[in-house]
Amino acid sequence: MLRMQNIRKIFKTEMVETHALRDFNLEVEEGDFVAVTGPSGSGKTTFLNVAGLLETFDGGDYLLDGQSVKGMNDTQLARLRNEKIGFIFQSFNLLPDLNLFDNVDVPLRYRGFKAAERKRRIEEALEVVGLASRMKHLPAQLSGGQQQRVAIARALAGRPRFLLADEPTGNLDSQMATSVLDLMQEINNQGTTIIMVTHDPMLAKRASRNIFVRDGQVSEVGKEDDIVELLHKTAQVG
Amino acid sequence: MSELGPIFRALLRNKVGAFLLALQIALTMTIMVNAIHMIENRSSMMARPSGLDEANQFYLSSNGYAENFNERAVVEEDLRNIRALPGIVDVTQINAIPLSGGGWSMGLQTETGEDKPSVGVAVYFVDDHGIDAFGVNLIAGENFSPTEITYRQRNEQGWPQNIIVTEAMAKELFPDLTPAQVIGKTTYIGGDEPMTITGVIDQLQAPWVGWSGVERVMLVPQRTEFRSSRYFIRTEPGQRDRMMKEVEEMLVAEDRGRLIRNVRTMEETRDDSYRSYSALQTILWIIVIILTIITALGIVGMVTFSVNRRRKQIGTRRALGASRFDIMKHFMLENFLVTSVGLLLGVGSSIALNIWLVDAFSLPRIGWYYIPVAMVILWLVGQAAVFGPARKASQISPALATRTA
Repeated sequence: MLRMQNIRKIFKTEMVETHALRDFNLEVEEGDFVAVTGPSGSGKTTFLNVAGLLETFDGGDYLLDGQSVKGMNDTQLARLRNEKIGFIFQSFNLLPDLNLFDNVDVPLRYRGFKAAERKRRIEEALEVVGLASRMKHLPAQLSGGQQQRVAIARALAGRPRFLLADEPTGNLDSQMATSVLDLMQEINNQGTTIIMVTHDPMLAKRASRNIFVRDGQVSEVGKEDDIVELLHKTAQVG
Repeated sequence: MSELGPIFRALLRNKVGAFLLALQIALTMTIMVNAIHMIENRSSMMARPSGLDEANQFYLSSNGYAENFNERAVVEEDLRNIRALPGIVDVTQINAIPLSGGGWSMGLQTETGEDKPSVGVAVYFVDDHGIDAFGVNLIAGENFSPTEITYRQRNEQGWPQNIIVTEAMAKELFPDLTPAQVIGKTTYIGGDEPMTITGVIDQLQAPWVGWSGVERVMLVPQRTEFRSSRYFIRTEPGQRDRMMKEVEEMLVAEDRGRLIRNVRTMEETRDDSYRSYSALQTILWIIVIILTIITALGIVGMVTFSVNRRRKQIGTRRALGASRFDIMKHFMLENFLVTSVGLLLGVGSSIALNIWLVDAFSLPRIGWYYIPVAMVILWLVGQAAVFGPARKASQISPALATRTA
């Protein structure tokens, strides 16, 4: 479903050249719930940006649903992002001047759905996250957990092939974090593939696969004791 | 255009900035519409034909200073000599120059009695060569005959029997009659002194270009004996500049105890008369252009501020699938809405200001087409102004969405 082969991403300034990803290889199958951990500066966010088509890469190949994204132009990438990927951000990234309905509507408008189809999907998505009764509210009128639920509804409304979550509970207290995580777990159980970047060891434990990124390279974590050890390292460094 | 709803609702939540910009646009439209209306009004006034052959006409003053100055003899000899010059079409002595700003006016009425309404009219004292010297066309009746030309003294009150009027004056006095039917009609000057219309000319303007009755003129068959004369001279096409010099030199050389002054062309006189109009037009254009630039810069400023304030939101939209074109379209539509609100306000305020100008300064009403034309211009200005910042916004990377700052 998602295959990265020898991906390289280099950030250049006049003085410095930073290899954010180097020969990065990863395969994610449909239905996976992958947690990506690693110390700060290890390349987690760069990986997320490349995986989410938010940034291009300098080498290697990236196949999304069997289709190489290499060489696609901005419009093609935007369309692919809109159709295949749902995003959940640490700061929720809701548009403050739009009510919940209009927020969830944003990606659907870019998809070009008719009004009736959009309305049906928005109501359905807000129903799933338990906020259908508050669709005329503004984001500022909601708690952090509720805002993240709206963000999840926005990501789900387009029925993407996979969700990319960037520290989805980073700005939430533990109770709200658990609630959001339960929701993501439920979404994953229904078949949506999730890739989640996190610093939170507890969150990483809930994933079916754990990936550890260090110095722009990836390593799979397979055994229970390895996970603990790596999470411990992550907690120390990050 | 389906994005208009959310954009409009979002704007309503940030009313102040958008409303202030809309007000600025309304003000710009109000001033633009009325200023351009005034410019066009002045242009149409300046473009009115005077009836004269202006390109081939000039005039001069002859002021007697010698004690034994015999004006009648001098004028008759001058006119004879000037007419004899090759290149001259005709010349007449005249009391006032059309379009020059200074002249005589009287009131004519169709019934006797000081309480009866009269129509204001500019008075030119000319001889039987007046029509040729002006280059106007006699459309009914006949020209003055040489024998009916008399001399008018400085304090003389009476008036000769016959007059020639312009068609506009004839219409004002006798609205239901054709020029031919006006011939022989009696009008009264000074309340009860009768004058008979013996001729109608097509067009001639009064000395006062700002006067609403500028087309109302009467020619009186008299020469003046005021020690100061003006000669109004028409030349063959292309001969004017040469003849100006030649006539002046000839009259000066005669040394008849008078001074020759103010040798000027009709084109110079027209330019002088309309100079204030031209100046007003220039000032109004400058105001319109400056105001439009300020409005455009206001839009650029507001959209730039808005883009900088919403960088993360733009990144998020891009992450959610907006193409660069979608982002540009978003800002263009947002500006279109703000501009539209401003223009709707501007329609009302433009009409209101025009009504006030009509009442206060007797300006004509604005044509209906001013409103849609101004709206289209300001819409285009708005879209052009927002293009740069919108393009900048479209360059924002979607990766900005994942940055926590």
